[in-house]
Amino acid sequence: MTTIDTGERRRGADTRPVITELIDEATVEAIAQEAWISLVGEDEVLVPLPGEPVADPLSSWVDVVGPWTGSVVLTTGRRTAEELTRALLREHSPEVLEDEDVADAFGEIANVVGGNVKAALPGSSGLSLPDVGDAPALRNPEDVCRVDLLWRGETVSISVQGALPPLPAH
Amino acid sequence: MKILIADDSRVMRQIVIRTLRQAGFDDHEIVEAEDGADALAKVGSEEPDLVLSDWNMPNMTGIECLQALRSSGSTVPFGFVTSEGSPEMRERAANAGALFLIAKPFNEDTFADALSGVIA
Amino acid sequence: MRALVIDDSRAMRRIVSGILEGLGYETRQAGHGREGLDVLETGWVPDLACVDWNMPVMDGLQFVSAVRSNPALRSMTIMMVTSESEHTQIVRALAAGAHEYVIKPFTADAIRDKLALLGLLPQEAVL
Repeated sequence: MTTIDTGERRRGADTRPVITELIDEATVEAIAQEAWISLVGEDEVLVPLPGEPVADPLSSWVDVVGPWTGSVVLTTGRRTAEELTRALLREHSPEVLEDEDVADAFGEIANVVGGNVKAALPGSSGLSLPDVGDAPALRNPEDVCRVDLLWRGETVSISVQGALPPLPAH
Repeated sequence: MKILIADDSRVMRQIVIRTLRQAGFDDHEIVEAEDGADALAKVGSEEPDLVLSDWNMPNMTGIECLQALRSSGSTVPFGFVTSEGSPEMRERAANAGALFLIAKPFNEDTFADALSGVIA
Repeated sequence: MRALVIDDSRAMRRIVSGILEGLGYETRQAGHGREGLDVLETGWVPDLACVDWNMPVMDGLQFVSAVRSNPALRSMTIMMVTSESEHTQIVRALAAGAHEYVIKPFTADAIRDKLALLGLLPQEAVL
């Protein structure tokens, strides 16, 4: 096989960055705020304050694969996810929201936040389609950048979390 | 003018339609597609004047759809509306034959700027 | 050190085994996940499994899930080998228990560097 230079060596393959070396909470907050203004409403505000723990959590996420590999996970209460869906759909909001509508809207918010997080990372990465359900487990507690926000008084948290396990100590 | 909007998110398709209207482009016929394969088929059957497409979709991505269109000889004006708006993505889009790339989150002004050269 | 190379392409198996043998590994091969499990069931437990994503009978993701549910195989490091078109799915394999991944086309150096980070080079590597 011809050896093709993927540039991995030049990218410093002797270290594996954790997310806190690549992005900070303020950037994730700014990305989320822009997404909310565009998708949810011009006057919408996300307040960077921790709220009540979420009773009936629902998460949406996209995976980022590249020099850093992990997921951008949004978590909120199911009721709040439904409110977000209605806000996105505006006048097209049906009387009764199907799970599919919530998955679509909440997934799309993860797509927009995740896509912008991806763009803030060095090098070139791939972005997955969004998924909705129970939050993916934390693989490495050292590889997390998390912001807790309040939207209309409800807790929305965004976790940018690595998918690779911690390196063995040696 | 007939505009084909391709996105696997129904919510996002509605947001795009709404933003087109807010940007002042409200007198156009809209056709929707839910993935790249659907978009490719509808370019053939509907003959739109413009395609606004997401990048990441199941079955066939937006970039694959554009590449298939161009290699089959279609010159239909094509622009991306995507959550990935990096310089690298813009370059890939332009190289494949896209006229523009609108990054999400967008508003009616970014739409107006991108589309003013393309539609009335 | 031992490595199990699982890929439905004989050419890919040869290439990956060649790279690993060059690093000092003893290798065995399997054509899909089920065959890989058969090798493990003989009691030959490798330090490393290099696993293709897309295979008939039992694919890479199914293999990872099967392995991770077996406590006897917990010490085995799993590196997925994925193509560019599949690469955004790799997080699923990682969540199922894979430890690392490499995207085709890859160089011998890329594999060596990842194994060095994981502490899986049979001899002291000069990076």
